[in-house]
Amino acid sequence: MTRRPFNLFSVARGQFERAADLIGLEQTDRDLLTEPMRQVIFRVPVRMDDGKVRIFGAFRVIHNDARGPANGGVRFHPSGTLDLICAQAMWMTWRCALLGVPLGGAAGGVACDPHGLSAGEQERLCRGWVRANARDLGPDVDIPEPDLGTNPQHMLWMLDEYEVISRGRRPGFATGKPVGMGGSLGRREAAGYGIVIAVREALKAAGMRAEDARAAVQGFGTVGQPAVSLFQEIGGTVTCVASWSPSEGHSLCFRKKDGVILEELAGVADRFGNVDPRGAEKLGYEVLPGEAWLAQDVDVLIPAALDNQVTAENVANIGPRVRIVAEGADGAVAPAADEVLGKRGVAVIPSFLANAGGVTCSYFEQVQSSMNYFWERDEVLGKLDVQLTGTFAAVSELAKKRSWSLRDAAHVIAVSRVAEACHARGWV
Amino acid sequence: MKSWDLPRFERDFFSPEQPLTRIGDGELGGKAQGLVFMRRSIEEGLDCRDFPGIDVAIPFLAAITTDVFECFMQDNNLEGAVGAHVSDEEIARAFLKGEFPTPFVGDLRALAAQVRTPLAVRSSSLLEDSMARPFAGVYMTKMIPNNRLDADTRFRKLVEAIKLVWASTFFQKARTYRMVAGVKEGEERMAVVVQEVVGLRHEQRYYPNVSGVARSINYYPSGGARPDEGVVQLALGLGRTIVDGEGGWTYSPAHPKSPPPFNDLGELLKITQTQFWAVNMGPARYDPVRETEHMVRASLADAETDDTLRFVASTFDPHANRLVAGVTAKGPRLLDFSPLLRYNQIPLNAMVRGLLGACEAALGDPVEIEFAVTIGRAAEAPARCGFLQVRRLAVAEGRCDVGEEDLAGENVLVASESALGNGEAQDIFDVVYVRPEGFDPRATPQVALEVSQINERLVDEGRPYLLIGFGRWGTSDPWGGVPVLFSQVSGARAIVEAQLPQLRTELSQGSHFFHNLTNLRVLYLSVCESGADLVDWGWLNGQPALAETGSLRHVRLAAPLRARVDGRTGRGVVIHG
Repeated sequence: MTRRPFNLFSVARGQFERAADLIGLEQTDRDLLTEPMRQVIFRVPVRMDDGKVRIFGAFRVIHNDARGPANGGVRFHPSGTLDLICAQAMWMTWRCALLGVPLGGAAGGVACDPHGLSAGEQERLCRGWVRANARDLGPDVDIPEPDLGTNPQHMLWMLDEYEVISRGRRPGFATGKPVGMGGSLGRREAAGYGIVIAVREALKAAGMRAEDARAAVQGFGTVGQPAVSLFQEIGGTVTCVASWSPSEGHSLCFRKKDGVILEELAGVADRFGNVDPRGAEKLGYEVLPGEAWLAQDVDVLIPAALDNQVTAENVANIGPRVRIVAEGADGAVAPAADEVLGKRGVAVIPSFLANAGGVTCSYFEQVQSSMNYFWERDEVLGKLDVQLTGTFAAVSELAKKRSWSLRDAAHVIAVSRVAEACHARGWV
Repeated sequence: MKSWDLPRFERDFFSPEQPLTRIGDGELGGKAQGLVFMRRSIEEGLDCRDFPGIDVAIPFLAAITTDVFECFMQDNNLEGAVGAHVSDEEIARAFLKGEFPTPFVGDLRALAAQVRTPLAVRSSSLLEDSMARPFAGVYMTKMIPNNRLDADTRFRKLVEAIKLVWASTFFQKARTYRMVAGVKEGEERMAVVVQEVVGLRHEQRYYPNVSGVARSINYYPSGGARPDEGVVQLALGLGRTIVDGEGGWTYSPAHPKSPPPFNDLGELLKITQTQFWAVNMGPARYDPVRETEHMVRASLADAETDDTLRFVASTFDPHANRLVAGVTAKGPRLLDFSPLLRYNQIPLNAMVRGLLGACEAALGDPVEIEFAVTIGRAAEAPARCGFLQVRRLAVAEGRCDVGEEDLAGENVLVASESALGNGEAQDIFDVVYVRPEGFDPRATPQVALEVSQINERLVDEGRPYLLIGFGRWGTSDPWGGVPVLFSQVSGARAIVEAQLPQLRTELSQGSHFFHNLTNLRVLYLSVCESGADLVDWGWLNGQPALAETGSLRHVRLAAPLRARVDGRTGRGVVIHG
């Protein structure tokens, strides 16, 4: 595990401290909540296809589970750091509390590049991760869900391993499982849809019609594509999409001023959502440098790929028309940029509100799995919409009342709820 | 009307500020448009001092606009599932399998989460938007009790109901109607109105004390009534009784105390309402494709148990052979609405007249309205009238004179002194008629089936025809005439009801059958046994038959018939050769 120059956990802690100051949180509460309750670093030996054994570094962090079993993603990514995982676990705690979902916050992962692993190696890695951590996992303790580099198949392997160990069927062990194998309809698109639901409400609050709104989206994978789809369905226009280009080794932007056509652009993208620039060019898209999405003449920016994408250095490139930035990825807007945007009157929807669709649907999936009774897709998405809209309204109302940013208001609601739960349990 | 005239649904169905809202940004369709248009007229143009003790308002509603329907069709690739030869049930099943469009599902979920009273999901078709072409009863209306404790079930039932109403756009009845109305397939788009049902709960039944349909013009005036005095039909329970032509109490708003014509009280007991419709608040057999899945037909005895007869019934006193208003005495009940119309327990008739006047003034044309009234159990509680619908009535333009001498002229095939409609129908070469010698009142359902088959053929061939039969066409009572749906006789350009002594029925003025008839300008001639009325059966029987069954003959003539109805005098005539 390495510390990176941009320390996401410092960002998360800074945001927490700010909220703690706003509500006058006691020092003991701060001491409890500023660090994860549990951090586990462990090793997973995996026999590779060539017969050799490789040891992978892995981790699981539970930030706080006062409000319910911990829940959080498992990412397979070479740049996975403990700081980043701690930050994600903390944001997950706030996210669940903000939504009123009875879950705590966790995060975990393996430092690896899944693209360089065969399916068999990935399966053994998943099973090894569960075996090494099994006693601290379970539907009533800590519930994994997919994150960067993992997908429903990984969750199913993990579930299967856990069920072997626990000698029984435990479909509530993990979420994000394949539909038909304990997964929930609507889960795949929930994260992207959640962003757009938040954007829709922010547009309303700004007195704008979705039909008149234009957006640029960074990321065209499992979050970006559903976000583009729903944004267009509510009447908006997405004019620019940024994605990683493996052939070029850096990201690129694809622009069509009349609006990108999701199906055709997805048709020239691989399964990770990386768009082929030559294919896009043939379809009439302008291919622009990777940061060009920031400078588009749009009302809404949706950074839904990586953290630290809007920074003090590039925030000035953001076009004057932009009114809303929805953090589809955790920590996408650096604190310095956040401040600049706030001064410009741009509403920044914090990630733990903007991308709460995934965890909300994870919660729904866990409920369905526990009942072994599964809902229709429109029922899942209807509930999702109501939950997210209600949450946005609460945050927006508080922000307006106190003249706070949406991020501060959301933090205050979430931190207060978690602190109350810790008090109620007698922890502090 | 564009949906911008209506505020968006802000997830508060019972918002007193915004009782009428929309989900979606498309068009509202005729029904919703009519209500939005009338809202202000009711609020501003209705003088409630004329009928104290009754609160009039449009029940809370959310209109789901046409773009949601289009989205649903497109997302679920349903265009291919609604071909002409796909059965209604298959279409309904395909729609029920479809997923509700994601951008609107949150609003609907929020609606289901906060509303626990029965809801009516009604069609509000775009073609109704033209108002001159109301598609009354062509599409489905689904009532749901919406009283389950969990919001999930309420949401599912609401979504099912909406999908069913959407599906009914492509049902056979609707297709036929559009074809006859000259509307191309694909032109129709459907908005849906989700509206609170006006009523009160009585154990497992939920219904209004009174439902009504009122028209500001009366095509069948009786006694001394004039056409422009209008006509009202009232029923206990949901309005389905009236619009399906199942009975009710018909009266002139200018003469509310005058009963409809009847020979004796025994006959009156037979022709008045004996059953009523209610929303079934209890368990129901799961059948989402059935329009009446959550409706129940109840008897007057049930109403007596519910204590809902006291405002609407009289009691037959066999010793005095007369009716006594109210239900204090024992004896057979008869729904003549005497406590309201004769004794004015609440000023219902004044309210109906006020509403008709306000609607006519607002629309500038004769109108038809639907309403429902609840009367609270507490004496001091005001009655509540839910204004449910307004339609502009199509009035045929131009004069078409038919004098007395025309009825007795040469080559008269049919003469009538009580004809409905106005205008002329030419180029009729086909006549389909019920053979007088072969007519058996017990076989009217079979006659309906045979007529329907010939109708389908003639509609396909584009041949308008004259239809002649006995008793009331479109009645729901098989003993009162031929119980056809409008879609089963949709190709008829003129319809004749001849009378046999054993078949005497009163009109169902508010029924969808008659509404469709008049709005598609089908001429309707009623022929009785007296006066100048006649049907020249001899001439008809002398024409060679193209097809013949036990009860029907279909003849095709060498020269066209000419049917004419004078709307001012009510005289009508069909001339051959």
